[in-house]
Order: sequence, then structure tokens, then C-alpha cells
Amino acid sequence: MPRRKKQKPAVGDEPLSLNEIAALLLQVDATDMAELDVIRRALHRLDSRLEPWPLARAFVLDAAWRLDEIRRGRVAKPDAVVSEVGSLIERAMLALDGQDPSEVASSREATPASDDAPAAIDIAAADRDLLECFIDESRDSLDAAESALLLLESDPDDVESCNTVFRVFHTLKGTSAFLGLEEVTELAHRAESLLSRVREGEVRFGGAYVELALRAVDMLGAFITGLQEQLAGGVPATPAGYAELLRSLDAPDPTAGAAASAAAGGAVDGAGSGARAAAAGGSEPARGTDRGAESWVRVRTDRLDRLVDMVGELVVSQSMVARECAVGGVGEDLTRAVAHAGKIVRELQDLTIAMRMVPLKATFQKMARLARDVAQRRGKLIDYVMEAEDTEIDRNMVDFISDPLVHMVRNAVDHGIEPPDVREANGKPRRGTVRLAAYHHRGNVVIELQDDGRGLDRDRIVEKALARGLLESDRGLSDADVFELIFAPGFSTAEELTNISGRGVGMDVVRRNVEAIGGRVEIASERGKGTTFSLRLPLTLAITDGMLIRVGGERYIIPTVGIQMSFRPTRDALPTVAGRDELVKLRDALLPVVRLHRLFDIEGAETDPTQALLVVIGSGERRCALLVDELIAQTQVVAKPLGAWIGHVPGISGAAILGDGHVGLILDPAQIISISRQPGHGNGVGSALRSVA
Amino acid sequence: MPRRSRAAASGTGDELMSETATSQETVAKEAIAGKFLTFSLGDEEYGVGILNVQEIIGRLPITRVPRVPEFIRGVINLRGRVIPIVDLRLKLGMPPGEESREQCMIVVEVTGVQMGLMVDRVSEVVDIPAAEIEDAPSFGSGVTTEYLLGIAKTAGKVRLLLDIERVLEKSEVTALQAVQAASSAEAES
Repeated sequence: MPRRKKQKPAVGDEPLSLNEIAALLLQVDATDMAELDVIRRALHRLDSRLEPWPLARAFVLDAAWRLDEIRRGRVAKPDAVVSEVGSLIERAMLALDGQDPSEVASSREATPASDDAPAAIDIAAADRDLLECFIDESRDSLDAAESALLLLESDPDDVESCNTVFRVFHTLKGTSAFLGLEEVTELAHRAESLLSRVREGEVRFGGAYVELALRAVDMLGAFITGLQEQLAGGVPATPAGYAELLRSLDAPDPTAGAAASAAAGGAVDGAGSGARAAAAGGSEPARGTDRGAESWVRVRTDRLDRLVDMVGELVVSQSMVARECAVGGVGEDLTRAVAHAGKIVRELQDLTIAMRMVPLKATFQKMARLARDVAQRRGKLIDYVMEAEDTEIDRNMVDFISDPLVHMVRNAVDHGIEPPDVREANGKPRRGTVRLAAYHHRGNVVIELQDDGRGLDRDRIVEKALARGLLESDRGLSDADVFELIFAPGFSTAEELTNISGRGVGMDVVRRNVEAIGGRVEIASERGKGTTFSLRLPLTLAITDGMLIRVGGERYIIPTVGIQMSFRPTRDALPTVAGRDELVKLRDALLPVVRLHRLFDIEGAETDPTQALLVVIGSGERRCALLVDELIAQTQVVAKPLGAWIGHVPGISGAAILGDGHVGLILDPAQIISISRQPGHGNGVGSALRSVA
Repeated sequence: MPRRSRAAASGTGDELMSETATSQETVAKEAIAGKFLTFSLGDEEYGVGILNVQEIIGRLPITRVPRVPEFIRGVINLRGRVIPIVDLRLKLGMPPGEESREQCMIVVEVTGVQMGLMVDRVSEVVDIPAAEIEDAPSFGSGVTTEYLLGIAKTAGKVRLLLDIERVLEKSEVTALQAVQAASSAEAES
């Protein structure tokens, strides 16, 4: 078996010296499989470096073999074997005759390396573009393989999924061989062989095989990531455990994976099938198969973004021309031509925006894998259900929602869903359900994550909030108010810190990310029944639907998604409480009033609310009323950042070019609401700032 | 850079320490010398290195940005791009100027950021040789010397050569934002 190991110590994968291994062995508990495995792998990694010293190498191999025996449970007295391993390592050290471990590596390098394929590929020689393409395509196909594997896990007879996985490995093998990525080729080849045995019906796919195939997918992914880092000037590295995975793929042990996962994760009912991806709406076609019908062009995203921006500007300029036409008495022909151009431009805009839309499927599928892994590690039984995963969102939003979803899915499985026994005791089915769905609602895309677990515990949240000083009393607080508290930075009600979740980072990040793209997070939860998180997102980032408003001589844009209503208050809707911030009565609620002219130091604005307008922004309990002079018009704008030089301006999310060519600033409703909740907001930080400046 | 190395080479050898010092000064001035776009603010004439200048535009409608330092007049639409406008008078600590037809904006690019400088009047592009450059006096001129590369004296005319990168350094803006953030954080707690 050709062993392709890298000789240069790589970052993060520094082979341990014999001395270090011996030290590790002294501390190890003979029943701690994970620790023993670390040592075993370290020995294997050392193996090829010891070729010039056959005696030492033999001792090391022997030691590794004994450790393997322990791992496979073939040893009656692990303690005794571990001490044997210790003496073998000592003998190996003697055989090296006091050679400095670093010399081991360097002298090994000096010997003619025949079978050494360095992991570093010569990028200058290989075609960069080709590599980039390879990286992109491999990512996609590995994703497809992963979701097909999950399907295959729940239904081992799913021939189509099996074929998909096989094809992915096969293609990777071919392409990587062409590019000279030998390690990838080798791994893909073995993974392919494993799958072909499944395909031929030689072995029945399940348990350990799934684990093994998923590990192969992960490691191929790690290679791809490494390759990308290398393109960016990083150091090449072979992912840890490479050689071991190759061996396992060669001789898969159907029980090993299950044993390992049981050891790592505690009680898992029905080993290896802890999670099941149940795609709603019939069987889910693998991505590889529907490629045939359509053909694809890969486009660099920065070009696409620029195109969308340019078309946005074109729409604005076109409407400027159209307005000039309407005002100045120009000929009928010109007016007609301009109107026609307008139609084309708008169609062009729809098309370019559609080009940037991608289905949520890929994101949802990543969550399927995550849910499965978390469930298995935490001994939960879940069904993962996806609904309407074909719903499309702006490609640029995917990055923003991906982290929040990871946090939320982890939380749902780890904290939401109860252990099977607890569920049974509470009269629920042993398997919990985690449902991820997407749909359109009033011009938004809504992503919903629902679990049928224990639900949010109001009392515990209140208790935590009191302890952390976030709250003085929960009297008069609605459930929505209380749930709102989990978005506070560092807030967590998890009793134990696990390595999966419950570190108290999360929900604040979720909210920040979602609000950064103009979305909202809503929670509905019922104790004992479950929790639903809804992410309400704009359809696209390219165009913001907004309301153009005027305050004094200035105009601003309020994103429509943040507006609830507007009204002119009557005198008696404005209770005056001395020394308090201004409030307005709307039906039964009291809302804080934010005077935009005061917040932004705008001159010449209407100061009497009964002569002006109040625009209600926000939702639920987080609302406030903005005092503005008038609403000018509904408008669609291309949001642009103000730029790093000006930096962040409180209450402003960006700028846009208005129909008349002037720049208008876009308000940030979420931030203004936060400002409105601060006491004394009406005085305006702006004026205070000016005096500092 | 080649200039620098040539001058540095001539400064090596058996020359006296004082001469080395002089040659270092020459190096610095050589590095400053070159083409400058000159403009006026009040009674004084200034110069900005031509390599930073992208274009000169007339007055465009400026949208004020709230809650930023006063010298940031706002943002404009430069052919679809939103760029900030800095009032150089205010930035350099002078009283605000009166609006006039000669007022215009110099679009510069500094460390990859495009922005506009509002000035009273643009004059000309001049070539300023190293010989005409003097160190900025530590007092006397209306501008803080840290913003000056030096002073050019040509045919009785004095021009203040601006270190535009220093003038538009982001740190000052960020410092202000820190104040801003601190005050709003205070209010929040």
C-alpha cells in the first residue's frame, strides 16, 4: 500500500515525537478509548518517518497494533497491554540510540524519497482557474453526497442516493488525478470502492458504513478547504487521521463506527440511525441527476454583484429621464421610447436579481447533517423535516443566515428536544421532530425552525435575567417580553455547558446577523409543546422597498418591512408626563415617540405632533413612533453602505441614490427602536457629540 | 524610491555626519517634490499631491449625515457612488467659508477610499522642485504642522503642501465614533 505522508511538519498536524508519545502514555487511562486512539494515530504518523531505523519502526508498529487491539475490544486486560505498549516505546527509543527526534525528521528527508508525494502541489504550474473551478464544484458535489448519504442512512435500499454518492467520489477521483492531487485521488478511490461494494449489494449500508462514508466526505472537504487556503498562500497540510481513514475504508469494520459513536455520544438508540432526514414532499432528487436538463455557467460573484448594482443605477437613471419627459413638453415619440426603455430596464432588473437567487436547499441540507450529528452525540432521537426548501433567497443573504441557523438548530436539538425517556414519560413520541421550513409572506421570506421539545422556560429565563441584573422584576412582562431576554449578549439558560451549545453565545449573534440584512427574529413557544423561531427576511438585498419621508428640508428612507402604520395623533393621544420621555397612545398601547428632527439635529421641521405624522416602526413589543413631517412616496432603492471612512452612524443603515439623483439616507428601524428605549433619548446624542468635537 | 536610494548612496562613504544629515533632508524633500494641485482656502494657498487627485467637480447637492463630526459635510452621488465630502476649512480649523460660484470639490483617493474635499477655489497644477521646499514652521501658520509635508516658496508665493493622508486619516473619525459609541452605551446601561 503506497503510503503518502507528508514529511514536512505541517501547521496543526505536527507529528508527536516518541518522547511526547511516551509522556502521553504515562497519563492515559487504559479505558479511555479516545485518548488511546490519539496515541495510536500518533504512532502511525511516526511510522513512515522511521523507515531508516527498521528496528525502532518495528517496535512502534507493534505498539500501535496493540493499541488497536484494545480499541477493538479484543483485550481482556487493557492495563497490562498499555504498560506493554510503554515498554515497546521505550525500546524503540533505545533503538534510535538517543537520536534527537528532530533529527529523525530531517535525516528522513535526506533519504531519497521515492513514494513520497508531497501534499503541496505546485500552484504556479497547475492552472489556478482550474483549481478554483475544482474547489467550487467539489464543494457542491460533496454537499450533494452528504445529503444523499443521510437519505441512504434512513433508507439503505435507496439506489438513486447510492448512485449519487458513488458518482461524486468517482468524479472527484478523476478530476483530482488530473490535477495531480494524489492524496485526494487515493481517498476518493477508496471511498468509491466502498460505495461500489454497497452498490453491488455486497454489503448492506448502515451504521458504521454511513459513519465511514461521511468521514470520507468530511475529509475530502477538508482537503478542498486546505487547497483553497493554499491558493490564498497558506501552508498545505494533510488533514489529521488521513492514513487511518484510508485503512478503515480498505477494511471497514461494521461494528467499529457504532462502538465509537456510542463511546463518544452516550446512549444512542438504534445505533447509527439517531437522526433521519425525512424530506417532505416525496423523495428528494439528488442534485447530480437534474443537472442534465439545464446547463450552467459559473459566474464570479463580485461580477454578479456589480451587475446587480449597475442595473439598479440604470433603473434610477431611467426613471429620472422618464420624469423629465413627463415634465418638459417633449415629443410623443420620445415619451413612448422612454416608456418602452423603462419596461426593458425593469425586466432586466428582475432578471439580474433572479440570477443572484439561490434555493435554500443547500443551507437546509447542511442543517440536516448538523442535526443528525448533534442528536447522535447527545443521545437524542430526532426526525429532521425540511419543507419548501426550494424557496429562493438572495445569495448574499445565505452567509448571514447560515450562522444563525447553526446556532438555532443546535439549540433546538441539544436543549429543545428532550431525551427519549423523558419524552416517553411526558407522553410524547420518543422521536422528536425538528422542522425547517421556508415560505413567502407579504413580500418577505420567512424561515421557520420548529421543534416539539420542552419549549422555553419562562421561569428559568426570568431567574437567569434577575441573577444577571438584566431585570428587576418580571411583573407585567408578557411572555414575548421574557423571550426577548434570550437575545441579550451572553445569555444562556443551559444547565450544563456542553461542547455543542449552551455557551451563551448565540442568540445575540442570531439577532445581530438577521437585523444586519434587514430581517427580524420572532419567537413563539409553549412550555412542554415546543418552540418556533421565525426569521423574517427581505426578498433580496439588492433592492430595498422603502417609504421616502421628509423632515424639515431633509429626506430619509424607512425600509417598508419595518413600518407598521402611520397616523396623525390627536392632542389627547399625547399624555404629558413631566420629566419623562414622550409617549403616544395608540389603541391600548403606549409607544415611545422619537422626534427624528431632534435625533438628527434637523432644522425647520414641524415640532407639533398634531400637525405632523407619526410612523410606527418595529413589531410586537419593540415598537416606537417616529415623528416626521410627511410621507413623500413609496420607493425602491439600491442600498449602499456609507463606507468605512464615515463608519457607523447610529440610526442609519446606509445610503441610496434617489430618483432625482440626490443621496438619501436609509434609516435603521431596529437601531432607532433601541435608541428610543434609552432614557433621555430625546436630547439627541448628536448635539452632545458636537460639543465634544 | 529610486530617488531615495540614489541620494542615500551619495550620502555614504567618508562624509561627515553633518553632511549625512543634510543629505537626509534632501532625501525627504526629493520625496515630497513633484506635481501639486493648488487651491485656496481663505487667504492661503495650499497644494495637494497630484497622484491623489482624481477629478475636480463643481458643487453637487450634498446630503447631510447626522451624528458625524462637523467637518464631514455629508455625502454626494458621484455617478452612482456615494462618497463623503470633507470641508477642508473646518477640518483645518478655519471658520466656515461663504458659498460662492468658485467653490468646488476635489475628488481624491486616499488609501483606496474615494472622497471629496470642499475648497474655496482651485488654482493650477504646479511642479514644485525639492529646492523650493522648506520645512513647515512649528508655529505661525494657521494650520497644525502635523498636516503639512512642507512649505513651497516659489517667486514670492507661499504654498502649504498638505499631507492629505494625514488630514484624512481614519483614526480621527474612529476616535469620534468611540466617543459616540461610549455615550450611547452609557445611555443603554
